[in-house]
Amino acid sequence: MTAHSNALPKSKAKAAKAPLKVVSDETSTASSTAVDLSKIAPELSGMLRILTCGSVDDGKSTLIGRLLWDATDLYDDQRETIERGKKVDGGNPDFSLLMDGLVAEREQGITIDIAWRYFDTATRRFVVIDSPGHEQYTRNMASGASHADVAILLIDARHGIKKQTRRHAAILDLVGVKRVILVANKMDLVDWSESAFRKIEADFETFSWRFGFWEVTSIPAAAVSGDNVARRSETMPWYTGPTLLEHLEALPSRVTEPTGPFRFPVQTVLRDSRNDFRGLAGTVSGGSVRVGETVVDALSKRSAKVLRIATMSGDLEQASQGQAVAIQLDTDIDVARGAVLSKADARPVTARVLEARLVWLSETPYDPRGSYLLRTATDLTPVSNLKIRALLDLETLETHPADACSTNDIALADIALGRPAAIDTFGDAPETGSFMLVDAITGASIAGGVVSVAKAEAAAADENTFLLTRSMLARGLNSDLRDKAQSEAEFRRRANEVALILRAAGVNVAIESADDYSI
Amino acid sequence: MRAAQSPEAERSTRMTQAISHLDLLEAESIHIFREAAAQFRKPVLLYSIGKDSTVLLHLARKAFWPGKLPFPLLHIDTRWKFRDMIEFRDKTARDFDLDLIVHTNEDGAAKGINPIDYAPSVYTDVMKTVPLKQALDKYAFDAAFGGARRDEEASRAKERVFSFRAEGHRWDPRRQRPEMWRLLNGRLGAGETVRVFPLSNWTERDVWRYILREKLDVVPLYFAAERPTIIRNGQLLMKDDDRLTLKPGEELVNRRVRFRTLGCYPLTAAVESDAADIESVVAETLGARTSERQGRLIDHDQAGAMEKKKQEGYF
Repeated sequence: MTAHSNALPKSKAKAAKAPLKVVSDETSTASSTAVDLSKIAPELSGMLRILTCGSVDDGKSTLIGRLLWDATDLYDDQRETIERGKKVDGGNPDFSLLMDGLVAEREQGITIDIAWRYFDTATRRFVVIDSPGHEQYTRNMASGASHADVAILLIDARHGIKKQTRRHAAILDLVGVKRVILVANKMDLVDWSESAFRKIEADFETFSWRFGFWEVTSIPAAAVSGDNVARRSETMPWYTGPTLLEHLEALPSRVTEPTGPFRFPVQTVLRDSRNDFRGLAGTVSGGSVRVGETVVDALSKRSAKVLRIATMSGDLEQASQGQAVAIQLDTDIDVARGAVLSKADARPVTARVLEARLVWLSETPYDPRGSYLLRTATDLTPVSNLKIRALLDLETLETHPADACSTNDIALADIALGRPAAIDTFGDAPETGSFMLVDAITGASIAGGVVSVAKAEAAAADENTFLLTRSMLARGLNSDLRDKAQSEAEFRRRANEVALILRAAGVNVAIESADDYSI
Repeated sequence: MRAAQSPEAERSTRMTQAISHLDLLEAESIHIFREAAAQFRKPVLLYSIGKDSTVLLHLARKAFWPGKLPFPLLHIDTRWKFRDMIEFRDKTARDFDLDLIVHTNEDGAAKGINPIDYAPSVYTDVMKTVPLKQALDKYAFDAAFGGARRDEEASRAKERVFSFRAEGHRWDPRRQRPEMWRLLNGRLGAGETVRVFPLSNWTERDVWRYILREKLDVVPLYFAAERPTIIRNGQLLMKDDDRLTLKPGEELVNRRVRFRTLGCYPLTAAVESDAADIESVVAETLGARTSERQGRLIDHDQAGAMEKKKQEGYF
């Protein structure tokens, strides 16, 4: 039953070093008429997603436009548009036109928007994520930042650090951005003054130390003339650090550093009856795993060995963070979508209670009687109780007790789940420690959240909580589900729907967990 | 092979490990396919035969390999596609043992709505948008995979990976959901359906690079060959059959041309080129100095054309 053959010959050494490059590595040796890919279509060696924060007044569009103009692969029609366009300060083209396109959407009334742009330098793909920076757009910035590897915080050198900068830094920290570039722009308007730049640098440090940034790099620049954007400034010899482009090209690419404990949220089960294959499909969301290692399903506590890591391009010896694979186990432990595989010594919490920070995205305010679902990596769990504890003031970074919450608020919340789910704290494992709060009725995404504490035990025994059990449903709705092993997922699915209806009627509901059942 | 590396050695391996941007894009697309297939009741892959669809289909096969695709393909046939496209479509379906659904707006076809005598906006609505809605409704698909990319056009730069449609397939900006981290929320509200875009973060160049890397077959029209062409409105059009008749002053000339995008032949401009194999096409495309949509006549029809078509339900 466990026998299998590999579709492609594999090199273990190669798999360990560059597990993601199976096909291209073999191309050059595969046939004599092989294409020299490195000449015709060199693959870029990395990708970096960059969030730009700041308002139009700070020169955000001009800075990015200038960077693209000087350093990337713009098409001729894009260059012509800029050259034909109106000229700004000192006869320079208006580079901000390259980042234009957000005007129309305001007219359409789009409420949450991020514009994505793609540019290549000789070695790297840059993805520029543009989101509005004003206070009323906190949620836009938060959702944009959640996709970013690095954020550019733009400061107008004439005005220095403003409250807005502090707010932006707090949002970046909240959603997990670890690298920040502080660009002091419009240095030409402060006579290229070193002291003005040093003051901005020092002012930022007075509050940034409290955030979890790994790296903050400050660069003095003038976007309109291109000083220290892609070209080293001759007017600021006192600055010896990198230009913005040099720094962006030197930063580690997206997912080159597998971090944290191994996590594999199972998306779906793949079957191939011809070869007796049952594979768990998913993307490694943290760390890595090798063939032969033992993995455990946090919820059922069952474990098995990794027999095979399969992809259509060939089997792998190891799967690392960011790779989409199918894992075949040596014994069928009946895990399905929603399960999170880990190693035995570093498991996620089988959580029933969470403390979390939320960015409230919806225009509908928090409703204590609302029906919510928690979408984690691949699971959807009913929320039996959502309680807002406090709101975070992004400018003073203080919290104030509160029990209400609406659009653009950052809230501290307690969440009780209707059944256990495999969850981490955001600091330990970001992808399994973050979630979306979903409105159970409309399906809308209500809030994005990060977990600060995940606890296994239920909240103080609530006599008013109604426990939905398998035996209760077995007589009616679930009378067609017999064998436990095969029906657990279906029981959960149906129980979730029943719980929703009961919650909408004002009943606190919890769903019996697999653990409860096996006792 | 060595059992376990020291933390230092492991770390240095990680730091030097080269992961190409195509590997990252591929993994992301596979993740999106699996997420959608797991969350939606009845998805379908909108297959338009072109290079983006070719990549889309290849990624879908990777996502569910070694299993079969858990959803069918849908092609909206306007009856004005290049003949080579239809041949390629049927061969692809046979080769990969795919479940292919072909749908045409028979009512529009019977009325003779065609891309030559009707304004592109009318033709697109009757022969593309309407039959797409018809087919989605007929089979009750709740999710449709499409090959749209955010780099194609300014109005698509803000598109979500899961793009929601209200009842009647209307794109309503207010219904679009914020997407954070890698989380995709596919819980549908009453009457809602969704369009899923696994190639959101790909560029035109990535698509070609990937076709080359994965050695994928594409429609021969992408390669230069002698083809019968006319010049109309400053654009090179291929006369694929007798339905395209010459206007006074127009002359049928064999030119060496290829196509950067494929669609209905009277609406798809050719470019003169000598790139006759995949390597030359990729080399030419990577060195291209203009963005691809210049060759798509439909976009020049009216200002903000794409935005309007999207609101009406065009992909």
